[in-house]
Amino acid sequence: MKAKTSSLSNADKSRKTFFLNEWFGIQIIPSTLRVILTLAIAFLMGAIVMWVSGKDALQAYNALFQSSLGSRTAIANSLLAATPILFTSMAAVIAFRAGVFNVGVEGSLYLGAFAAAWVGFTFTNLQSWVLITLCLCASAIVGGVWCLIPGLLKLRLGVDELVTTILLNYVAILFTEYLVNGPFLVPGLANAMSEQIAPGARLVRLMPPSQLNLSFIIAIVVAIIVIYIMHKTTLGYEIRMVGDNPDFARWSGINVSSVIEKVMFIGGILGGLAGAGQVMGVHYRFIAGFSPGLAFTGVTVALLVRNSPLGALLVALLFGILRSGGATMELMSDVPRDLIRVLEATLIFFAAIEFGSLIRRRRRVN
Amino acid sequence: MSIEVVSNVLFSTLRVMTPLLLAALAGLISQRVNLLNIALEGLMLFGAFFAVIFGAHFENPWMGLLSSVLLNSAITLVFAFAVIELRANLIVAGLAINTLALGLTSFLLAALFDMRGAYSPSGLQSLPHITLPLVSAIPVIGPVFSGHGILVYLSWVLVVLTSILLYQTPFGIHLRAIGEKIEAAETAGIAIKRTQYIALLIGGILCALAGSQLAIGDLTLFNDSMINGRGFIALAAVFFGAGQPGLTTFGCFLFGLFEAIQYRLQMAASIPPQLPQMLPYLIVVISLTAISFQKYLKDRRTV
Repeated sequence: MKAKTSSLSNADKSRKTFFLNEWFGIQIIPSTLRVILTLAIAFLMGAIVMWVSGKDALQAYNALFQSSLGSRTAIANSLLAATPILFTSMAAVIAFRAGVFNVGVEGSLYLGAFAAAWVGFTFTNLQSWVLITLCLCASAIVGGVWCLIPGLLKLRLGVDELVTTILLNYVAILFTEYLVNGPFLVPGLANAMSEQIAPGARLVRLMPPSQLNLSFIIAIVVAIIVIYIMHKTTLGYEIRMVGDNPDFARWSGINVSSVIEKVMFIGGILGGLAGAGQVMGVHYRFIAGFSPGLAFTGVTVALLVRNSPLGALLVALLFGILRSGGATMELMSDVPRDLIRVLEATLIFFAAIEFGSLIRRRRRVN
Repeated sequence: MSIEVVSNVLFSTLRVMTPLLLAALAGLISQRVNLLNIALEGLMLFGAFFAVIFGAHFENPWMGLLSSVLLNSAITLVFAFAVIELRANLIVAGLAINTLALGLTSFLLAALFDMRGAYSPSGLQSLPHITLPLVSAIPVIGPVFSGHGILVYLSWVLVVLTSILLYQTPFGIHLRAIGEKIEAAETAGIAIKRTQYIALLIGGILCALAGSQLAIGDLTLFNDSMINGRGFIALAAVFFGAGQPGLTTFGCFLFGLFEAIQYRLQMAASIPPQLPQMLPYLIVVISLTAISFQKYLKDRRTV
């Protein structure tokens, strides 16, 4: 598995000799072209799927972009939809860049969301800024520790992290559902949600009537911190070294285990914060099963931009547009919103294929 | 616990382990050519979807099964082409198949049948169930082994066939040679790409059977969350069995047993259903950890 991810980055490296306009680890012209080409293919595939099932593709895409970019509130809603994806895509970028296939961020997101909600509805007497800080810290720690478990299992015992993280997601989702149906059941409520959090724990709404809130700003700041860490700090350098060649990293004195532990922990923190943002800024309570696979969308983003954090920042915003437009598209043009998933699948599929390697291989043959 | 409860639980263990077993055989064969196939989950969902849709369309579950096998083969060939010829990253392409399965099945369900997430067409029959002639007369054993759907018995036959394929045929030797040392296999003149194609294709067909067992084996229902990680549990069973058909089957039995127990607990006890539902996933993670821990201890002793 490691060999596969590192072969990706090796290919990137050989491309650097052709394009010198490297900025923050992303070769702007070829990367942008690749992302645009992949997006175009995805939209084409989506159009074919709609055409086959007898839907008007142009009308659907028109509705999609109208409802995600057509007005001030629409744009705010797109940014709102992008908020959790910003967190989860950064988590995926860090993990994949280190060659770790951590897909357990969804679990951290659920547990972090519940932790934030619990602090928010339990310590209601605290001052607002104290309470908000506590909520965020609780979600970060719970999320981080949750991802650290499969990380330690992998490092100490060699248990495959891909399978354990995916299966532990189911455990986390069911466990939080149990919490709001069992010990934290609120009598008289539709029973799959917790109590409301205290007003002091709620994050400020930035552009009412949209639910866009302070967690968007937090997400942007976190994304910038991640970009900084990955490109300007020793930890970022170590992560990239471990991802490129763990053996070489070990020989040059990097503590590979410690780097992977940190990567898993940071991924979990980001997942937890994503969940906290949804609770504290949008729903004001924990709702069982609230995430439509937000962490997996983060994985898609990371794969599409080949683990560049700057690219992930931009493409996460784009995915916010797709997500928020998809919901309204369904109402306006009777095309089911599941189309967005089909688009995402096409994006992942073509992100997996290296167009570059095809061209290069042919060139070598000639 | 009465003997009746035990035989009841064992009966449903054999039933629920079947999709796991079929998918695990798929995972095992691809594992043997060095391809970690995480697309099992999505291929099972596709398999279940086609079985229900076409079973209802032709008003015949066998046609559902056949369509499921054919269409899954087509999807698997595209997947195999991307992985083998276009050198797509195996895990990423597998993830794409899983996402596509979720998206496309829900999309088509909503677009064509105006259904949200679940579809249970009236008039769709399940595949036949078989009462074993002599076995069913034996007191305790009969009720456990007799009266299952036909795919349950087929899965047992397929375990034997897989063992024969792997260890008794030239094709199996090629498979294992590629898995052990691909360079040596290449030097020996084994057609690597062709073998990998066939291995993945067999996997796709087995996943169609696995999905069909879930969708039209006992019930006649498609549900977008009906696979619920079973593809990954099957993969875990392959890890658990270290790629051996017998041990992998035992792994599936173990995981199936806990699934059967959790259904029982849900019915019997007054605890919220989510706790027993967590059980199978936890058991899988714990078993994988235990197996790795055992290996770790052994390695340390030899050092």
